[in-house]
Amino acid sequence: MKWTPNEVDMFLQAKEYVDTALIPLVPVNFAENIKQSASMKDFTEILTLEIERQFKGRIMLLPQLAYLSSWDEPKRLELAADWARGLKEQGFAHVFYITSDSEWRVNEQGLEGSLIWIPSIPLEHLEEKHKRPMIDDQVRQVLAIFTRKWHD
Amino acid sequence: MSKHRVSRRQFLSYTLTGVGGFMAAGMLMPMVRFAVDPVLKASEGGDYVATKQKVDDLTEEPKRVDFTIKQVDAWYESEETQTAWVYKDDKGEIVALSPVCKHLGCAVAWNTDKSNPNHFFCPCHYGLYTKDGANVPGTPPLAGLDVYEHTTKDGILYLGAVKPHKGA
Repeated sequence: MKWTPNEVDMFLQAKEYVDTALIPLVPVNFAENIKQSASMKDFTEILTLEIERQFKGRIMLLPQLAYLSSWDEPKRLELAADWARGLKEQGFAHVFYITSDSEWRVNEQGLEGSLIWIPSIPLEHLEEKHKRPMIDDQVRQVLAIFTRKWHD
Repeated sequence: MSKHRVSRRQFLSYTLTGVGGFMAAGMLMPMVRFAVDPVLKASEGGDYVATKQKVDDLTEEPKRVDFTIKQVDAWYESEETQTAWVYKDDKGEIVALSPVCKHLGCAVAWNTDKSNPNHFFCPCHYGLYTKDGANVPGTPPLAGLDVYEHTTKDGILYLGAVKPHKGA
């Protein structure tokens, strides 16, 4: 489910079935990596929307969580942890972060939820007909991570 | 000079009839168009979208067929990819099922659960459907998978509107 009024209605009616929260983490950077930062946001958005479409009934896709690339690690971890704690209080058994920012991998243990890291593909350079298979491929890998976690 | 001379009176009445006729037509035509509009609309109703699937390549094994539709919401016009699970039943008739689980809308897939082979399986809450799309009692879904209307043209599969499952 997405964070839209209609789907939140659906969420309220089916709350006991939605036990997984997905938080996209998106870095914003105005320095030399500005283009890459925008490309990550785009890629993460497309990927998460597709994941949401496949697992609509069990995943709540939250709004993208943006932060400045210049933030130091403790500040970043705190941001992520706050969200995870808040969501767990709301009854989400599984909290997933998804990001293309490799910085998060440095201290993966420090996170409260599970981290899915996917290197971003610069979709703007791809032809329309190649985009879809590319994304499908990535999505398939991520879906497996979710089902494995649910089966545990 | 011709024998039939047109008098001033005749000339005026002809031109007035002509011009008046045009004006009346100009007013009536849109009205007629509006009146018959619902009829014209109805014929556009059954829109079919071409897939890339050749009908001859379909087998009895459900196959994932992706197709794109143009979707307009308030701000964006986008192409949305939709999926159908398509196969031929034992009579050779094409069956195209919607992949949207009737429980909470996840995407179901054919034959992905090892403990329930030859079923459509929903990974979210383990809903099951038989090959014809009927929900297996005891699993979360309360209705069978929706069915796409379909037609074939030049050997290519075209998919249309979704209809509720017959058994539902």
